[in-house]
Amino acid sequence: MTTTDDTAAAADLGGIGLDDHVERSRQAQRAADRWLIGGTILMGTAILGIVGLPLFLRGLVLQRRAQLAGLSVRPIIVTLIGYMVMLDGALNTFGWAIDLLASHTYASRIFLPTWGNMFDAGYFWHYNNLPVGGAGAPGEKAWEVLGIFVVFPMRIAACIGFLQMKRWGHQWMIVTCWTGMLMWVGYVANMTVYADLRFTSVVFPVVGWWVYDIFYITPFVALPYLHTVNREIFSD
Amino acid sequence: MDTTEKKDDLPLGTPPAFARMHTIIRRACYVLLFGLVIEGALTFPLLAAWYGVPTLTPAEVCDELQKVMYSDDSRTCETADLRSPPLGGPGEAQHQTTAQDEWGVQPKPLYPRIGFRELVRNKEEREARERECAAEGPDHPSCNPGT
Repeated sequence: MTTTDDTAAAADLGGIGLDDHVERSRQAQRAADRWLIGGTILMGTAILGIVGLPLFLRGLVLQRRAQLAGLSVRPIIVTLIGYMVMLDGALNTFGWAIDLLASHTYASRIFLPTWGNMFDAGYFWHYNNLPVGGAGAPGEKAWEVLGIFVVFPMRIAACIGFLQMKRWGHQWMIVTCWTGMLMWVGYVANMTVYADLRFTSVVFPVVGWWVYDIFYITPFVALPYLHTVNREIFSD
Repeated sequence: MDTTEKKDDLPLGTPPAFARMHTIIRRACYVLLFGLVIEGALTFPLLAAWYGVPTLTPAEVCDELQKVMYSDDSRTCETADLRSPPLGGPGEAQHQTTAQDEWGVQPKPLYPRIGFRELVRNKEEREARERECAAEGPDHPSCNPGT
């Protein structure tokens, strides 16, 4: 005997069987992810971000269409948070990795002190003077080591698990977003203590730095969501 | 039944009690996304325009920044071989003593703020001084601008 719920479910599926529904959902998600990943990679380069954004938005549109068609795809907000936090990790890793490991290359020597002179003289004052090279501001190297070797690899792995709707992805996303909070507060405190060095004669000091860096707060914005979403949607 | 229908309208995983908060977070994410992308795309052109590209090549900008950094017109921006920090070798400018700093527990640099395309003017003025010095001889004041 067919119940009302069964009828509703059959209607939702557009008259197709469960296996077909799962397969069509998977294909729709994959099609959207192709655009989302391509867009995120381009946005991760910073300079090509304008090219990457339309691709990313196209991915979001495809995903929304699939959602409206009744397919079982990832919620838009999970997609946004997952890719944004990954982008945050990728952009931070790019800048800090070249400062820590490639500080004597021409590209680093041109880009980092120029950026530093404009926003944060920690990347200009006595640049490359330290025995390890790169930024010379007190404490900066410690944040770079922590970020590159612990926080950001963990963050990118967490994002992959989160986007795959895995339970561990959700759990590690919470860990990495709280770690982001620790890094941000510690970093800002360190900068403030050495503000004389970091902001003297900078083109756009303090306010410029905040305007530049405020867009990296996605991990904190995501935290209330991560703690209130129904975690049953993330599977083991 | 109304409750069920309302619940069905919500995105997967969003409890009714937090629906508004999740919407706000989603919108905030869009703002941050556009902010990050626009900022990422504009940073390089802004830096290039401010520091004098294309009048100066990026390598010349690097040269000029070194001169400001160490208050030394002879500094240039050079690449280093593989035996450089962090893989070994001496730190760059290790014995350079020309940087103008107030040293102490809170070091404070005394180099000037670099204005819009000021590096172009710095280079032109220095080259003019060098030409004058070459024409007038080594005793001319243009040969010792710091004194």
